[in-house]
Amino acid sequence: MSVNSGGANFSRRDFLERLHAVGGTALLMAGMSALGFGIEAQAATPPDLSGGNGKKVVVLGTGMAGLASAYELSNAGYDVTVLEARDRVGGRSYTARRGTVLTELGGERQVSDLDEGYYFNPGPWRIPYFHHAYLHYARKFKVPVELFNNDNDHSYIDFEKGSGPLGGRPVRKAEIAADTRGYAAEMLAKQVRQGALDAQFQPGDKELFLDYLRSEGYLTADDFRYIGTEGRGPAVYPGAGLEAGKPSTPYALSDILHSQTWRVLKSVSDLDMQRTMFQPTGGMDQLPAGFVRNLKPTIRLQHVVEKIAQSPDKIDVSYVDASGQRGTVSADYCVCTIPLSVLRNIDLQVSPTFKEAIGGVSYALVGKIGLQMKTRFWEENHQIYGGHVYVDDPMIGTISLPSTGWLGEKGVILGYYPHGSAAARVSAMSLAERKAFAVAAGQKIFPEYAANTESAFSIAWHRVPFNMGGWAEWSEEGRAKYYPTLLEPDGRLYLAGEHLSYLTGWQEGALESAWQQIAKLHKRAVAA
Amino acid sequence: MKLAHSIAMTALLGALSLAGSALAAPTGAVLFAQNCSACHQAAGQGVPGAYPALAGNTFVRGDPKTVASVVLHGRGGMPSFSDDLSNADIAAVLTYVRSSWGNHASAVDPAVVAAARGHSGGAHSGSSVLPGH
Repeated sequence: MSVNSGGANFSRRDFLERLHAVGGTALLMAGMSALGFGIEAQAATPPDLSGGNGKKVVVLGTGMAGLASAYELSNAGYDVTVLEARDRVGGRSYTARRGTVLTELGGERQVSDLDEGYYFNPGPWRIPYFHHAYLHYARKFKVPVELFNNDNDHSYIDFEKGSGPLGGRPVRKAEIAADTRGYAAEMLAKQVRQGALDAQFQPGDKELFLDYLRSEGYLTADDFRYIGTEGRGPAVYPGAGLEAGKPSTPYALSDILHSQTWRVLKSVSDLDMQRTMFQPTGGMDQLPAGFVRNLKPTIRLQHVVEKIAQSPDKIDVSYVDASGQRGTVSADYCVCTIPLSVLRNIDLQVSPTFKEAIGGVSYALVGKIGLQMKTRFWEENHQIYGGHVYVDDPMIGTISLPSTGWLGEKGVILGYYPHGSAAARVSAMSLAERKAFAVAAGQKIFPEYAANTESAFSIAWHRVPFNMGGWAEWSEEGRAKYYPTLLEPDGRLYLAGEHLSYLTGWQEGALESAWQQIAKLHKRAVAA
Repeated sequence: MKLAHSIAMTALLGALSLAGSALAAPTGAVLFAQNCSACHQAAGQGVPGAYPALAGNTFVRGDPKTVASVVLHGRGGMPSFSDDLSNADIAAVLTYVRSSWGNHASAVDPAVVAAARGHSGGAHSGSSVLPGH
């Protein structure tokens, strides 16, 4: 059976082989899923690197890409040296706990005073179901994951730019969703029943389409009216004895439209923003810790790369360590996972084309703040269990409620998540000002917010040494002009990281890029 | 540096508290503290190897339209400010930068920013629902 009925000689197998050649195992698996082979995520595996022959590889950086490269290459018999600039592993896969220290460039020294047992993920925080490589390692290293609630109908929308009675105040998302979609279904049903759309239907379609509209919008059975529905939240909840509950009244359509709150509604979530996602139990640093538990080579912490030089038969990486001692590691190959925003300031012996390509990408400005709350008032008083509060102030971005520690004593809220120029403005504030800014925004949603706020931990990734940005942001021009150059080695230097994927800003991009690059390196090493 | 920063922030907070008043047009210095100082630092000195210094920077003192274009559209690690700042705001902040910390370049006219923008746009902000990752 052929995939493309027009191409008789192009079999499903040919297609899969080509997919594998282009995108490695992960793309192969995605292709097999798409073709109905029923291959599940657990089948996605790292490349086969058998026969490594003890060649020397130096891996730079211990984020996801560096750890995966070091782990796979050393298991395959390569002699691997790992250099890490910081005094910790994980890169952006990072968790702030009590005592975590962070000093941004040009910023104050910040020491986290979160309570013992509480944490905040300042970087990545949620994992989509199709991130096979991440889930592969979580499974392999027995890092437990839990569900991350990425959308909650019982949470609030507060759109300050909206007008009318529903603008500028917290409204439950379920009310907006039920009413907007109910009215839309009602209006469409009316048109269909009047015959306005008869030309659109095949025989038998019309009745089925009306059934769909009745179901979609909770319309009345006989005359297709929207009069509200239980799921938007009743006026009085049903209870014991004589309490049967009391239905609520829908908002006026015009009020909803002018409030702008309908902007949060979509037929389905984006591919990488499913309503339920995963998070590693206990913090994002748990997967890096899993790698370290299982890694053969020792990681040399606080080794800052100053120079990468190449000769026909080796590559030399010069570093300075925490005590100021300089040294050089010579190897057959180098896998460099240093972000391009940092790499462009390092002395590199590469071709002018390669050097230019490294400078051909922008890095995202992005900020986050964690706020430790002394009670879980959003659960106790508002019955909101995880998910996000939807706001329209770009300097706040989103306020998110923790998907862990349910019904417990305290919790850490994500107080803001701005991007771009909004993140630049937030990051210009002192630590105390950032906290005050975030608390003032949350207070508009929850009257308990300010009184419950204890400690804060904030980050502006564009000011973090050794990161200099949240993630790579390729323009269309950059993808065409520079990106392909960086996918190929320059001499003995291979780059890997989220920046060399179409999953930029995701740990999965880093892992799949590492798999792709070490497969290339291995192919060359066994041929040499 | 610390002192300069806190002075800038005092000015910033003052401007924020006046934000409701139609009379309060933010000055170039306030706009700089709000939008630029996180990276380029309070006295425009930058951070070596990370963010370029604006003090003594020949590019910044050069053709106003080219400089305005970078503020509007971003470059490298610098974001686009086209949706956040009006032509008048960008003209004010560039005039401030071009005449501070030893820089002595001409003031920037909002019309030049408008020309760099391609159309005479004012500041507006779209609602961003859950951006990011």
